[in-house]
Amino acid sequence: MLKTALSALPRDTRDTLFLLAVVAWVAVMQIPHVPWWCSTLTAGVLLWRTTLTLRGRPLPNWPWRLGLLLITLMATWATHGTLLGQDAGVTLVVVLLALKTLEMRARRDAFVVFFLAFFTLLTHFFYSQSLLTAAGILIALLGLLTALVNAHMPVGRPSLWQAARIAAGMAAMGAPIMLVLFLLFPRFSPLWGVPGEDRGRSGLSSTMRVGQIAELVLDDGIALRVRFEGDPPPQAELYFRGPVLSRFDGVEWRPSRAEFPGRRALQSELSVAGDPIRYEVTMEPSQRPWLFLLEAAEQAPQVPGMNVRMTPELQWLTDRPIGQLVRYGAISHTTFRHGPLEPVLALQEQVALPPGFNPRTLELAQQLRREHGRGPEATPRLVQAVMERLRTGGYLYTLEPGVYGQHTADEFWFDRRQGFCEHIASSFVILMRALDIPARIVTGYQGGELNGIDGFWTVRQRDAHAWAEVWQQGLGWVRVDPTSAVAPGRTGSLQRLSAAEGAFAGAIRNFNPTLAAQLRAAWEAMNNRWNQWVLNYTQGSQLDLLKNLGFKSPSWTDLAYVLIGVVVLVSLLGAAWTLWERQQHDPWLRLLRRARTRLADLGVASADHTPPRELAQRVRQRWGETEAARRIAQWLLQLEAQRYARPGAAPSPSLATLQREFRQLAWPRKDPR
Amino acid sequence: MNKFRARLRTWWHNRLPRRDTLTLTQRNVYILPTRAGWMLALTLLLLLVASINYQLNLGYLLTFLLAGSAVAGMHMCHANLRGLTLHLNPPEPVHAGQAAVLEIRLSSERKRTRHGIGMGVIGANLAHAPLAWTDVPAQASTTLQVSWPVPARGQHALPALHAFTLFPLGTFRVWTVWRPASTVLVYPEPESAPPPLPPGEPQAGSSGSARVQSTGEFDGVRAYRRGDPIKAVVWKKAAQAFAAGRDELVSRDALSTQRQQLWLDHAQCGAGDLEGRLSRLTAWVLMADRLGLDFGLRVPGREIAPDQGPTHRARCLETLALC
Repeated sequence: MLKTALSALPRDTRDTLFLLAVVAWVAVMQIPHVPWWCSTLTAGVLLWRTTLTLRGRPLPNWPWRLGLLLITLMATWATHGTLLGQDAGVTLVVVLLALKTLEMRARRDAFVVFFLAFFTLLTHFFYSQSLLTAAGILIALLGLLTALVNAHMPVGRPSLWQAARIAAGMAAMGAPIMLVLFLLFPRFSPLWGVPGEDRGRSGLSSTMRVGQIAELVLDDGIALRVRFEGDPPPQAELYFRGPVLSRFDGVEWRPSRAEFPGRRALQSELSVAGDPIRYEVTMEPSQRPWLFLLEAAEQAPQVPGMNVRMTPELQWLTDRPIGQLVRYGAISHTTFRHGPLEPVLALQEQVALPPGFNPRTLELAQQLRREHGRGPEATPRLVQAVMERLRTGGYLYTLEPGVYGQHTADEFWFDRRQGFCEHIASSFVILMRALDIPARIVTGYQGGELNGIDGFWTVRQRDAHAWAEVWQQGLGWVRVDPTSAVAPGRTGSLQRLSAAEGAFAGAIRNFNPTLAAQLRAAWEAMNNRWNQWVLNYTQGSQLDLLKNLGFKSPSWTDLAYVLIGVVVLVSLLGAAWTLWERQQHDPWLRLLRRARTRLADLGVASADHTPPRELAQRVRQRWGETEAARRIAQWLLQLEAQRYARPGAAPSPSLATLQREFRQLAWPRKDPR
Repeated sequence: MNKFRARLRTWWHNRLPRRDTLTLTQRNVYILPTRAGWMLALTLLLLLVASINYQLNLGYLLTFLLAGSAVAGMHMCHANLRGLTLHLNPPEPVHAGQAAVLEIRLSSERKRTRHGIGMGVIGANLAHAPLAWTDVPAQASTTLQVSWPVPARGQHALPALHAFTLFPLGTFRVWTVWRPASTVLVYPEPESAPPPLPPGEPQAGSSGSARVQSTGEFDGVRAYRRGDPIKAVVWKKAAQAFAAGRDELVSRDALSTQRQQLWLDHAQCGAGDLEGRLSRLTAWVLMADRLGLDFGLRVPGREIAPDQGPTHRARCLETLALC
């Protein structure tokens, strides 16, 4: 239907429509990353251009294009406040691509569209480098190449399919070059600073306002992938530690401010015990500077190109935001002790509460202190009591606790009695502090899911979690997860509140629950492999490759040498091929020559110009009407027919068949004389 | 600078041997990037810089895949022309002021079609030379016609031709320069409104008859008889007769034309300079040939006995061309 409609169009119209379709595909992929007006304007311009093409109308004059351009510039300025930044640039290039189609008259202009489209394609990678994006980009690349090839087939009306095949063939021939360059092209550090701290971010933030992790809990995106060497710890122990929040202003939790001068500041004072757990983490870009490690790690993980340090709160920080996939190996302990064992001044910060908030919680604290006593030795009892209250007080774990007001802890403890990790942890820590027990919130990820296909653990954004740490004399900081008291299933097993799933996934799940899980596992394993092999191919991996090739201490200059060597080698091969091509290499002639040499060995001489028919005759003369001679002669005649039969004559066997038959021929014995 | 380049080109072209069949090999096929090719190189550079700066591994992949495709495209472009055989069919003579049609057979032994091959005459301005485009099917040949506005009359060597291709990406221009060995014969331009044919001259040895007092027109006609060759029908008169409502055909009386001989004489054709005379004689030759008359031609130093037919006409025209 579409095909017949297309073939009815004049060639120019068809070509233009095809190019517009490719441009539309390039622009559609940018919809999530550009402001709404940009998508609308682009769609409008492309539709307008399509209508003009179909109706055979002239293209708009320059005032139109200039006007649209000015509108775009102003709208970009209004949206982004600049014309130069990354997001503004993406917005501009998308609109420019669409506007350029309005002055696409000759095939030459197709070039400009082509080059602009490539910039637009590259900008996709600012936002996503997933397998799906790559597939979308590959389609766009093939579409653009097809349009270009089609533009250089000036004769007649070649089908787009034909052009597409040529383009695909060209890309296939280019793939080895791509591979070699990708493997060996030296990876430099950024030429100038990587902007983009302000890009769309996902993942944990550095502050916590009650109600915030809720967004993450609904996000099925992947935060980390972890591969353990040896047995993984039980799921209940999988606490991936992120930002530690110690300051509370009544509304928001923030990280500690280094108020205390160096020596008096809180020290990490970490001591570990038990067997180390070795593992490797592949972390999705978070645009934030912290690394997630399993609870306590003594040694800094090695992240290529970054400096990593540990804060006193056992957080691991990098020197710049993580804007790309990173992979790091680490060694952690789940049995450890950290923090001061005796009271220090710096712990004061960990009991501070803003005045005027949560009066009823403070009252509750008074009451608990009356019941369970006070002082450092009462701390375990108090913690137990509060945990008991959470377990038995009718508290509910839910993702939809409603909107909390000003006194979040009061509301949680007395009114609503429901919430999820952040409400529970926040209320718990407030209550602890009200009890004069140093306490703080730790955010991070808890749990994970084993992908049975590749053995990686997948930690998703919805595994984001907040728990508490309570300081006890003689023990230091002790992890307390109040959420586990409310909802024991939240940690430990896979039983979680899951986000609503799409209609399609739902349908599959109803149809076959294990199939859905398997499909998902397979897809994620594929994605993971993509990440491990492609996205995580860094300078380190390059140098590893060189090490495998036998370089002792490779550097990037060695990479350049190897690359140059490959180029030289390929050029030499090309030159050799050219020389070879000059020689006679017609397969038919070669086959005849082989037969001729064979016969000459057996005593049937022939000249270079003797035709196969003549050879056959000589064979018959030499050996008479024996079976072998008859078959050799027959073969020679077939060889002749293969090349010289008139069209329409009985079909002769293919050259490949003849070659096979030649090997199977029974040759007469050489005369003993 | 341009002058220097033109001279350089002329010098280079003059070194090429002239031949009518040219097989394109590594040695005579040239390749250079086009402006679009440079633009592509710039694009690749920018993509690379962006990939480096934003540390985009997928950006590297895209850049290198595009670069790889461009390299593959370069090879495809070169292979598109390499191995092709060009053969020039000897060109037909033409009149000055017309365009000679050079018919070139392109044959390919490759198993794949060669797309988008353009041919043209290398003129003063390479960019605006008219081009003929063709595809050469796999293991087959195709013909292509290139027109060349011929210079003045005479025997002329053919201009240098170029065959080129931009296929598949337009980033490279692959071309060859070819000087065919054939020549083209250019007849003089026929006068556009020539006077009527001159009167016939009495045939040597025949007695003067009434026919001698000719009106200048060849009125030796008679009523059409069955069996008269169709060439002998005087269509002009027939048309007049039809217009007047009569239904009769007249034929040229061969006997009557035999008695007097039509000589197209350079000395007596009336026009001014040599070219003008040749031009008029050419028109007369064509006219007489169209009328199917016997005619002779006299030009300085050469006389061609009266005869008729295409061979005779060609001989006369050649004489006029080379005179």
